[in-house]
Amino acid sequence: MSSETVQEVRQASSTSALGQIWAVYKRELGLYFRSPVAYAVAFALLLLFGLIFTSNVSQMNQRAPADNLNFIPSLLTFLLFLVGPLLTMRLLAEETREGTLEVLMTLPMSESTFIIGKFLAVWTYYTVVLALTLVYYLILNAIGIPDHGRAVGVYLGAWLYGGAVLAISMVWSAVTEDQIVAAFLGAATVLILYLADLAAQFVSSLSFSENPQLTENLANAVRELGLTAHYNSTMFVGVIRAEDILYFVFLIIAALFITTRIVETRRWRA
Amino acid sequence: MIEVQNLVKKYGEVTAVKGISFVAKTGQVTGFLGPNGAGKTTTMRMLTGFMPPTAGKAIVAGYDVFEQSMEVRKRVGYLPESVPLYRDMTARGYLQYMGEIRGVNGTRQKAAEVLERVGLTSRANSRIRTLSKGMRQRVGLAQALLHDPEVLILDEPTIGLDPIQVLEIRDVVRQLREAHTVLFSTHILSEAEQVCDNLVIINQGTIVAEGSPAQLRAELERGGRILVRTEAPTETVMEALRSIPTVAHVEQTVEGIVVTPRDVSVDPRPQIAQVIVQNNWRLIELRPLAVNLEEIFLELTRQTATPEEEEEKVKHIADENAVSVISETEEGSTHE
Repeated sequence: MSSETVQEVRQASSTSALGQIWAVYKRELGLYFRSPVAYAVAFALLLLFGLIFTSNVSQMNQRAPADNLNFIPSLLTFLLFLVGPLLTMRLLAEETREGTLEVLMTLPMSESTFIIGKFLAVWTYYTVVLALTLVYYLILNAIGIPDHGRAVGVYLGAWLYGGAVLAISMVWSAVTEDQIVAAFLGAATVLILYLADLAAQFVSSLSFSENPQLTENLANAVRELGLTAHYNSTMFVGVIRAEDILYFVFLIIAALFITTRIVETRRWRA
Repeated sequence: MIEVQNLVKKYGEVTAVKGISFVAKTGQVTGFLGPNGAGKTTTMRMLTGFMPPTAGKAIVAGYDVFEQSMEVRKRVGYLPESVPLYRDMTARGYLQYMGEIRGVNGTRQKAAEVLERVGLTSRANSRIRTLSKGMRQRVGLAQALLHDPEVLILDEPTIGLDPIQVLEIRDVVRQLREAHTVLFSTHILSEAEQVCDNLVIINQGTIVAEGSPAQLRAELERGGRILVRTEAPTETVMEALRSIPTVAHVEQTVEGIVVTPRDVSVDPRPQIAQVIVQNNWRLIELRPLAVNLEEIFLELTRQTATPEEEEEKVKHIADENAVSVISETEEGSTHE
């Protein structure tokens, strides 16, 4: 190859962050739809939902079953403490263990780019599973009159909730190169955030201060940190509040930021 | 062009690279030699922007690796020692993925081109997990070549390959010399001699020697041992050689009789020749024993090492020796 054509090729190669995110996203998403884990997770979830749905509908055939539709996305959000870490444990731990991170980090691509690409891929997979549960909604729609407005809140909430859980459990995949450890730590973290309501109840039962108002404020603060306070009592009943949406968006951004920082420090420790 | 100035890398208490400086010129293959743990991989990782240096400076393709990391990364092709690849992807798929991230125009065609160049077109659609070690190495090399980088950094690209594959990789590297700067690490001296224009020898994080392979060999052979082969009875010849005052030690090896001089600066060959002529023995061979990498290391690191370290090194070299003997004999057979 002559030096001129080499020069042309060098000039022709251009890199854009969006193109890189798209490349990473495509590969990761493809992996989900080719990997047995993703199918096993989807199969188990949908089987469980199907059984619950059928039994609920058949038991309540005398009453309007419209509320049952909400049961399924909310069960999914609960199960996410298990499912989320299972889906994200591989994302960065595998790259570290296999050494492919070394190649990625010598490409003209920033850490945040491939972390965003990977996150969007796993969120898309979750979105597909969530969308599949709409089947039950369609069935209910055929046999009754579900509350469409509430359904929007339920599904929007479950979608954002999922994004936050996936982003949080992905942090652990960056921390350790052992996928099982990443999954357990992820599950623990998400469960703690899920159980913040219980912690709040415990805090309010304490009487460490003269001022009951202070205890109450503290309990509220703890509750607001948790995942359920922003879903079960708001979007789940069809109340869409900006603060809840912001809470989930903030969690996603914060978790992705922490993940990026962890991967960056790997560079210094490697 | 790679310019390294006083590069230092510390891992906590341990200093892996202790302020090294060297230049790798465009149009040359620069060999980076050293035993395991000498700091080769650490240096290469700093040059590719994977790890920041603790101190010092490195300019690769005209950009500072620390200040302008992205510009450097665009212009460098890197093959890490462990050849990390996505085992679930096909060779072609992997190269296209890398091309997309690098923003190479016409990724599909470019991937086909580099696969052709490393001789893997027939396995382009095989999953990487099904490829042999040598083929994976070539996929890794193809990845490094994908974007026509100005600088190529190859960390032990021939390790673990069979002799034919070694020759193929060396050919590819030699061809690349013209338009690229190539930095190539190895611990096989014969390989470095065949492929490299310039050698940098590193040990324990410091550069112990630098120069063209011929220069280094000439320098080191001066102190080296002499191989003698005659048709006369070995015992008699050894007895006679022992009586030469400039000879320190005589031993029998598979190759012939090896003579170690007493003083490095005094060549015993004239006297050996004299003894042989006097006794009227028929001489087959009288030459310096080829210097191998292990000996160069021993030679170059003797002054710096403490006795304990020396002991460690001897053990280590014994292991290395076994490997290089095998690879050298294999090479011999392919040349035939």
